[in-house]
Order: sequence, then C-alpha cells, then structure tokens
Amino acid sequence: MSKRAVDTVFEALFTLTDIRMMLRDTAPQHRLDDDEKEAAEAMLRSLEGNIRTLRKELIG
Amino acid sequence: MRCTSEIDVRDVDESCINIDPIQVGGRLTADAMKAVIAYGDGYSVCDHCRKPFRLDFIQKPPIQQFHKELAAFVNMDEARVVPGARRGFQAVAGTYVQKGDPVLITALSHYTEVLAVENNGGIIREIPADDGKTITTDSAAETIETVSREFCRPPVLLFLDHFDYQYGNEHDVRGIIRVARQHDIPVVYNGAYTVGIMEVDGKGLGADFVVGSGHKSMAAPAPSGMLAATTERAAEVFRTTEARTDLTGRTFGIKEVEMMGCTLMGVTLVGMMASFPHVRERVKHWDEHLSRGRKVVESLERIVGTRIQSEMPRNHTLTRVDTIQSFDKVANTHKKKGFFFSSELKARGIAGIIPGATKVWKFNTYGLSAAQSDYLAETFLGIAEKYGLDIQ
Repeated sequence: MSKRAVDTVFEALFTLTDIRMMLRDTAPQHRLDDDEKEAAEAMLRSLEGNIRTLRKELIG
Repeated sequence: MRCTSEIDVRDVDESCINIDPIQVGGRLTADAMKAVIAYGDGYSVCDHCRKPFRLDFIQKPPIQQFHKELAAFVNMDEARVVPGARRGFQAVAGTYVQKGDPVLITALSHYTEVLAVENNGGIIREIPADDGKTITTDSAAETIETVSREFCRPPVLLFLDHFDYQYGNEHDVRGIIRVARQHDIPVVYNGAYTVGIMEVDGKGLGADFVVGSGHKSMAAPAPSGMLAATTERAAEVFRTTEARTDLTGRTFGIKEVEMMGCTLMGVTLVGMMASFPHVRERVKHWDEHLSRGRKVVESLERIVGTRIQSEMPRNHTLTRVDTIQSFDKVANTHKKKGFFFSSELKARGIAGIIPGATKVWKFNTYGLSAAQSDYLAETFLGIAEKYGLDIQ
C-alpha cells in the first residue's frame, strides 16, 4: 500500500476542484485578475508536484 | 466532453452564468465537491456506525454534531436530514393527517405539499393570494374560519411557504403563524427558498416545523434537506418504532418511523455537511445577493414593455418577469421564434432560462458575484438593443 500515493491522488483532485471553482467564479469569460492568476499559478505548481510524486510512488 | 460513453460532462456552471430559478442555491461549495469525491460510494458515512445504529448518532464523520448544529441554525430544538424538503412534508403529514382531515396550504404552495397531504387522505383547502400574489394574515384568518365551519373543526395542519416558488414573493409568515396558533393548528414553515440563503428563526416565528431543501438552498447534492421541530413536536414526528414481527419476534431499536430508519447515508449528507460552515456564513450576506439581484431587475425594467410580475421592490433573488411586450415581440418575427432569446443568452454565456420562453419566465441571481450580475444586467440590455427594443 502506498499511503503517499493515495493521499496525493486526493490532494490533486482537491486542487483540480479549486481550479474548477475558479472557472465557476469567473464564468463565462474566465478573465482572471492578478490575484486569481497568482492563485492559479500556485495550484498548477502544486499539481505538477502531485504528478511527480505519483510517478515516483507508482512507477519508481 | 463525456463522463462515460453515454453521459456528457455537465459543465453549465463552469461555462456559463447559470440563473436557473431552482438551481442556484444548491450549487456546491468547493468543500462539498471535495467531500463528494471522497464519499461517492454508497454507504460511505456508515464506516463508523455503532450502537444504537442510527444515522444521527454517528460521530465519525461528525454527523451527530451536525444534527445539533442544523437545529440551532434555524432556531429549533431537533433536526433530521431528509431526502429533500418534500420528504419533510411527507413525514409531518404522515404524523398528523388522517383520511378526511382538512389541511391548509396556500394558493402559491409547492405541489409536493399537496402530494404529502393526498398521500394521507387529507382534504386540501387553499388560502387565496391577493392581487399582488401574496398571502396575507387576513386571508389566512378568513380561510381558517371558513374551513373550520365547513368541517366543524379546525384544519389539522398548515403548510406555509415563506417565499413561494412561482413569484419569489414574501408572505407574512409571522402573522399567519400567530393566527394558526390561536386555533391550535400546527404549522410547517417551508423554507425551501430561505433556509441556507437567509437567516431563519423558526421558534421566533412560532413555527412547529421548519423544512429546508439541501439541493435548493443549502449548497448540497440532491436529494437532501432538513426537517426541524420543537421538542414537543419532535417527540411526535420523530417517534421510534414499536413494531415486533409476529413470526421472528424481531424489533428494530430506535429507528424512526417517519424517517424510514436512516435517511441520507452517503454523498448527499457529507456534501451537505461540508457546505454547512459556508452556508452558515453566507446567510449573513443575504442583503448583498439581494442587492445584486435588484440591479438585474432594474436593467430588465429599463427594457420598454417588460413587466416584473413579482412583488416590488424585490425581497428575493428569484423573480418572475413578463416580456410579452418586449422579447416576445421579437420572437414573433424571428426565424428561431422564441428560441432566439435563449440562443442569444447562450451565445453570451448565460444559461438557466427555459429555451423558447419569451412570454413569462423566471430567473434567480443568487450566488452571482458583483461582476457576474453586472454582466448579466448588461447582457439583457445588449440583446434588447440588438433587436431594436426601446430602452429607458
């Protein structure tokens, strides 16, 4: 069992959910202001980290 | 984009400003969506269910505590989660209505109140609305007198919608409940359009029961809702089973008869719980949502020929509008007929109005940001301008 992989999957799904909410909050034009862009950037960085972790945990 | 080979992704709220009159208060919070991801499996909240084996006793996740907080949220003594407000109506009707009993609803009541009464053989009598489509205390008092004479006894129950689903009009619940209490008629406060979006004080209003809708106004998945009661009424509506089977002699602990045992056993409940802290906070900001809705209504009123059928000024974000003398005139000559309007809205990223409707339609602005409500107001004016309608 890889607890880390399980946790990372949820973490990534939750971050994607936050991005989904950002799309809702800015619909229909999805024009992000500077603060929103900064938040989006942080979320994308977090997701990239999640993918690296999952690759390491599951594939080695 | 598809979820499966046969089910499309639903992305209406990601792609558009959704103003569907019944959907906006039920949109999930981010926390509810996350909880839904983790608790999607069937009996997902039951992992730690221990004696006495009832949903509202489960402590992990903190369902027992949630029930206490739900009751306090609407200032009532006890609460249960139910699969939609309608199941709350059904539980109350099942407790108090016998065949042939008179039951009061209003001329603007939701159909599920009618079904709940019908299911128990009750006889429905409606309190009429006035010309402004509101239910007044005088009208209620008069109807109670009339029905009491007709049946030689008062009605056994009164269902009262604080804001109705047709016009989003506010009705004098405080005054009507006061009159009902003078006749010892238990009152069900239908808060499908209030509980979860504005503050509700059940005992302050004098209600015996408060019913709320999770999927309509509490940012929860469907079907979900709540039924809250005073201590006295809770003992009746939440009565426990006394049955013993004849052959095997089985009994069923403290399962509640009207609840049919446990109610929301998975994703609906956990979604409701995850949204609850946000819901409890957002009711304090109702005025901001109302103010944004009023701006949209003002822009519609500027389009000559458009008439707001709901009471004015608006006291709710759900509004019914008559555009027979504005957008419907365009529809009469447009090649798409009434569908021109929904097409124009869709092209501008607005969803939730019944396609083809240009005569009388409803919308709800609850939950929109200031930028989104401004955009919506401008969109209505923009479409009117494009088709040469006069704007004041």
